[in-house]
Amino acid sequence: MKKYLTLTRAGIIEALQFRLSFVVIVVGNLLYLTVIYFLWKAIYASAGADRVNGMTFTDTLIYLVLATALFNFMEMYTVWEIGRSIQSGKIVLDIIKPMPYRRYLFWSFTGSFVTQFFLTFLPTFIVVCILTHGTIRFGVNIPLFILSVTMGIIINYSIDFIVGTICLYTESIWGINIMKQVIVLLFSGAVIPVAFFPETFKKVTFCLPFRAIYDAPLSILLSQGTSYPDLLHMFFVQLIWCVVMTAVSVLFWNVSLRQITVNGG
Amino acid sequence: MDNKRGLFFYLKLYGKIVVQDIKSKMSYRADFIISTIGMVATNISGFIGFYILFRNFPSINGWTYDEMLFLYGFSLVSITPVQCLFDNNWSLRINVYTGDFIKYCFRPVNLFFYYQSEIFDIKGLGQLAFGIGTIIYAWSRIGLPVTFLAILKLIIFLSTASLVMIALQNAAAATCFWIQNSFYVLDLVNRFRDYAKYPITIFSPVFRFIFTFLFPIAFIAYYPSLVILRPNEIPLLTWLSPFIGAAFFYVSYRIWMYGAMRYNGTGS
Repeated sequence: MKKYLTLTRAGIIEALQFRLSFVVIVVGNLLYLTVIYFLWKAIYASAGADRVNGMTFTDTLIYLVLATALFNFMEMYTVWEIGRSIQSGKIVLDIIKPMPYRRYLFWSFTGSFVTQFFLTFLPTFIVVCILTHGTIRFGVNIPLFILSVTMGIIINYSIDFIVGTICLYTESIWGINIMKQVIVLLFSGAVIPVAFFPETFKKVTFCLPFRAIYDAPLSILLSQGTSYPDLLHMFFVQLIWCVVMTAVSVLFWNVSLRQITVNGG
Repeated sequence: MDNKRGLFFYLKLYGKIVVQDIKSKMSYRADFIISTIGMVATNISGFIGFYILFRNFPSINGWTYDEMLFLYGFSLVSITPVQCLFDNNWSLRINVYTGDFIKYCFRPVNLFFYYQSEIFDIKGLGQLAFGIGTIIYAWSRIGLPVTFLAILKLIIFLSTASLVMIALQNAAAATCFWIQNSFYVLDLVNRFRDYAKYPITIFSPVFRFIFTFLFPIAFIAYYPSLVILRPNEIPLLTWLSPFIGAAFFYVSYRIWMYGAMRYNGTGS
């Protein structure tokens, strides 16, 4: 365990080096939030109803704001990292480290998790709580939310790792990464809440693992009067995806390792 | 130095450099194909998102669905040049950081021109096709008259509007001459592309001002597109937008060159 925490520490120190980039990220997020605030306000105004697809304006806004915060905190640029290591040949040095590559990479990202959590997610969450005057309930949903986010992180990382492994075959990073990003963002509900999807599209979404990254934790957090069987069901589905995606990513990596061709390094 | 050589010289040179770039890209065929698919996927997902959001509503703030679609197509076309012609800006910080940038400084052509001409991003052409298709579709749905003058106006306003995004990206890329990690600045500006597709009337007056003058997102698509969409009530800012585009571009070019002149290598 100690060797993993060393990686976390190194990550924190590294993340704190870039203080200016932090300011730029905050400005960027504020702009983004401004745009979605006014956009959804206009949409609700033209809908002429308090509730659209079972969500009020406040619900939608909390959902999207927290989705953005979660995204910032979960996005680790894993695919870039793996792709670049493959292209530069650095991957050889990472593979011979005395721990599995998958685990090494994950723990070296935990440092930025910790910093991002305290610098972006927590402040956003507190501001949202204050501004919406208790729309977010504090009860059993909070510990469930934390568990659910943890599983979301694992699923997200596994997907990233699978996509990164594909780079071993294609040696293409940009295209693979952009495709992954587009698909995950759309189907996970990070840009538009899943509740707004048309019926057939919703059915497709329910069969894919991406919803378990952002939509599941946020639905659990915002659940009001949702029955416990429903919550447990969502939780259970998330758990299954967690196990499946982890297994697939480990297996795929082990098979692909034989493929590796290294160009110098 | 740039004044001595004519436009023709630069066009010919550009053609030659681009042909080399395309040849080298074609040697990584798999990467090229995957990147193109990635670009198409981005556009399709943009459309799906747009459709999901607006399909249920006849109009948003006085903008019908078809008008919004026109604006969307307009923004797609207007951000194509920055994608195709100025993609090398993304590598600027790496070139500056590693010291490779020095090689551009010793060529007897305009530095900015030479640097940007090195990369031509073909996959942006897919986006151009998407955008033009959307504009034509929306145009026929709205039932706007198709006249020579209207098309001429559209072309002029599209090309000048594209200068705004180019200018923003140039300036953002040039920050790497002063700060180490300029990726975040570029990424921030890059996100403006997505905001350009909404009519600025949805914002409150304060933010309308901000998005017009501080972060001039409204000039990427909103103001210039009014010349076609609202031919009877064109605001002054629409008529000014071509000049604003050109002015922005010139200023960004100056910033870029100023930064490049400050550059003195990393000594490796």
